[in-house]
Amino acid sequence: MKSAVTTVVSAADAAGRFPSMSDFESVKGSFDRAKARLEAAEKLASCLDKFTNDAVDAVYQNGSYEQANKDKCVRDIHHYLRLINYCLVTGGTGPLDEWGISGMREIIRIQLLPTTAYIEAFMFIRDEIKINEVMSQQAETELKGLLDYLINALA
Amino acid sequence: MLDAFSRTVVSADAKGAAIGSQDLADLRKYVEDANKRIDATLAITQNVSCIAADAIAGMVCENTGLTQPGGHCYPTRRMAACLRDGEIILRYVSYALLAGDSSVLEDRCLNGLKETYLALGVPTSNAIRAVEIMKIATVAIMTETNTGRKMFKGINSGSGAQCQDIAAEAATYFDLVIEALS
Repeated sequence: MKSAVTTVVSAADAAGRFPSMSDFESVKGSFDRAKARLEAAEKLASCLDKFTNDAVDAVYQNGSYEQANKDKCVRDIHHYLRLINYCLVTGGTGPLDEWGISGMREIIRIQLLPTTAYIEAFMFIRDEIKINEVMSQQAETELKGLLDYLINALA
Repeated sequence: MLDAFSRTVVSADAKGAAIGSQDLADLRKYVEDANKRIDATLAITQNVSCIAADAIAGMVCENTGLTQPGGHCYPTRRMAACLRDGEIILRYVSYALLAGDSSVLEDRCLNGLKETYLALGVPTSNAIRAVEIMKIATVAIMTETNTGRKMFKGINSGSGAQCQDIAAEAATYFDLVIEALS
């Protein structure tokens, strides 16, 4: 799975050379951001249920979606937030890409699901929930970047 | 290929759970020790030829028949292949050490290695001995317990004694090579 270190190692292996000084620099660079990422992952893990429920409640409040599907919506939002938690840990979008986004369009289309419900939920988490109350500014930036990425993929 | 981070992700996904504080503690340690890890990897990359050449020479000294006509390191072409393989194994160990995970070593180097050696008639017992010597030499250089001068220049001026844990981890990667050939 793609992450800062595996990218560097793959490139070195393709060329048949040992890791070089510039490889080490690039690995170190990714670790400078790691502190904020891991904090975001930790806090997101502890708020995963709360974020999910708040978002789904808000989306279903206006009554434009069938209440019967609410449980499934909770399950899916929870799933995507878990993948975001993984992305924060790896420092790349690998988990979302491989397990959440590839094939997603096909599944959503064939089951006639309203993607707007998902988008509304993630936008609610991004814009309405006070993320900065549970994590630092830098961690929040990392999390919001991934939420944006997911929203764009769904749109 | 996985690294310490994606390994955590894959095992968490198998359980369907998010990654919480418990698992993150290990990863934080990996990030904290990044400089030591880079130094330990430099200890390998700056001494590749030395480690490989010493190990093959040691192996031959213990079995002088190897370089005699009919031996497995005769003629020089086959001895050179031996040195080349030593360096390849060191290269994959250095990748695994940097990534903090053995998957790159296992997938790209060890998978099928024993079968290849058997098919080519390489005596695995001698290959294992060479890997053992490489392991001892690598750990000694990393922890600066080798006799003589300091053998590598780290970027963080950390002394070898601080690399103890990482050197122990490197030793486990050599053990995997030995296990794969046994």
